[in-house]
Parts: sequence; C-alpha cells; structure tokens
Amino acid sequence: MSMLKDIASQESKMEMTPMIDVTFLLLIFFMCTLKFKTLEGKLAAYLPQDVGVNTSDAEPIEKVEIMLQVIEEGSKYMPFEADRKLWDGESKRYVYGSDRRIRYTVGPMRTFDLEELGKRIATMTEVGGKKRPATIDPRKGITYSDVAKVLDVVLTAGFEEVTFVGSYEKQ
Amino acid sequence: MNLTKHDPGTEMEMDMTPMIDVVFLLIIFFMVITDMTQQDLEDLQLPMAIHATPDKPTPGEFRPVVNVDINGVIKIKREQYFDPEKPDNYKMLREHLADVSRNMERDDKNPKLPGDALLIRADESSAFKHVQKIMEQCGYKGIQIWKLQLAVSTPEDKKDK
Repeated sequence: MSMLKDIASQESKMEMTPMIDVTFLLLIFFMCTLKFKTLEGKLAAYLPQDVGVNTSDAEPIEKVEIMLQVIEEGSKYMPFEADRKLWDGESKRYVYGSDRRIRYTVGPMRTFDLEELGKRIATMTEVGGKKRPATIDPRKGITYSDVAKVLDVVLTAGFEEVTFVGSYEKQ
Repeated sequence: MNLTKHDPGTEMEMDMTPMIDVVFLLIIFFMVITDMTQQDLEDLQLPMAIHATPDKPTPGEFRPVVNVDINGVIKIKREQYFDPEKPDNYKMLREHLADVSRNMERDDKNPKLPGDALLIRADESSAFKHVQKIMEQCGYKGIQIWKLQLAVSTPEDKKDK
C-alpha cells in the first residue's frame, strides 16, 4: 500500500524536448514557404468557337484582324542582377530592348506604334450597330509580351471579343 | 550573510510554457497568412498591361492555371506537363485540359461548352507559339475550352517590387 502512495506522490513530468523540436521545425517550414500574395492582372480573350463540333448559327460579322510581325528582333538584356550572375548565355531570363520593332497591320494600315494602332482600331469597334470582334494574328518570333500589349490596346479601344488566329509556326 | 550561499544540489529548471505559447502563436500566424492558392502560380516575369482587370480569385474557386516559362516548358501546379526538349505531342497537357474541361461549369448560352476561363501565365519573353500550342490543345474535341485569360502585371504591381 505504501508503494501506491509513493507513485501518487511522484510528480509526473512530460518530456517536452521532442515537441519543442517538432514545433520549431514547423515554424521554420512556414517561415521558409512564406510568399506574400502578389496581385496580378488578367486580360480576357476567346478562342474561335466555330472550330470543332460546335458551330454557331449567328451571321458572320466582319472581324478586325491585327497582324503582328517582327521586323527587328532587338537586343536582349538581363533585367535582374541575380539573373545576370547566373546567365550562361542562353536559357535564363531576358527581355528585349527598346530597339525591338514590331509591325502591326490592320487592313491597309501599317504601323510600328501601339498608340497609333489603338487610335485607328478605336474607330472600328462597331459595324451597323453591332460590336465587331477583333482577331490577333501573331507571326513568327512574336513573344507573349508583344501579344499582351496589343491585347491591352485592343480591349482599351473598346473591343469586347478578341480571338486568336491559329499557330503558324511548327514546333 | 546567507545571500552568497548557493546550493549546487538544487536543480534549476526553466519554465518552458511561455516560449511554447509564443512559438505556437507564430506557427498559427504563418499558417494563416500562407496562401496555398498561390502555389499554382510559378515565379514568372509577366508583361505589363495598363488596363488589366485585377485577378482576385475567391478562396475555393475553381481556377485552372497553365504556366509557360521562357523556354516553353509548361508547368501546372509545380509539375511539368510539357518540355520542348522532350516533346510528347502535348499528350499530358491534353489529358489534363480534358479533366479541367469536365470539371468546369457549363456555359449559359451553349451548354455543350465549358463556361469557365483558363488562365495562361507566360514569361514576357517566351515565344507566343508556346501559348498558341496551348490554345490549339484547348480546341480539341472533349476539351473545347474557349474562354481564356492572359496573366499580366499591373503598374501597381511593379511599384510594389
């Protein structure tokens, strides 16, 4: 009986060290994976619906076709210090300099200036009271940035439906 | 003078409770602010657009994202779906897009087609042909995703960086 009393009187202690270890590891994990939320933007575009099974019965409206062609590729440069150190001559991030020249063609009009393109197409958004769709036709060598800029201008000009022409380049 | 007397037999114990409390609070803080939805977004340099609509997904929203890096490598949720060095004719990507298309809500006007948009994020200097290839896959039978969103950065974004 005296043994039971002994056990009861003993102070029971939990081993805290492993728990603290795990807790610290968790804390370090969350601190390392922390990435602050960055707010991005998005531009809406559509793919032609008349490709494939689905066909629409709506009567065709004349589209405004904007063709993008690279006239001068322009110089590449590293915008970020960290990338510059890593750069091995290819494969790393780069952007094109201001000497890059893209020609925008809308019907008979040809321009190298995005603002001028915007002004020109702003007058073409409607035909007979109906909204016209715009089509972007990027040719060889065009980058995502070139298309995003044009899409930005086209949406700003008042076009609601913007589609893309299929791929001209082979892999 | 008993003050200088120190008994070496006395065990010194630190009270760990406040430290554990603080550490737990820190863990909870980091868990709350770590946004797992951002895991879909690869670290890319996006082109800037002035009139873009801000991308604010609501938590739990179904939002398919396709990332294209500067070399044309397609990544979805940190997993590689296409590498131009090892072309597989976009088979993996097509299978994924077919899954995505099935999970999308139907379009109001045409119930045969999916009504949600696919967000394409590409590096500003990546060739557009890579994005066009994704668009091509979207047109396949059984996928037919026709609404797209192209990710861009807004002028406020650049200011923050």
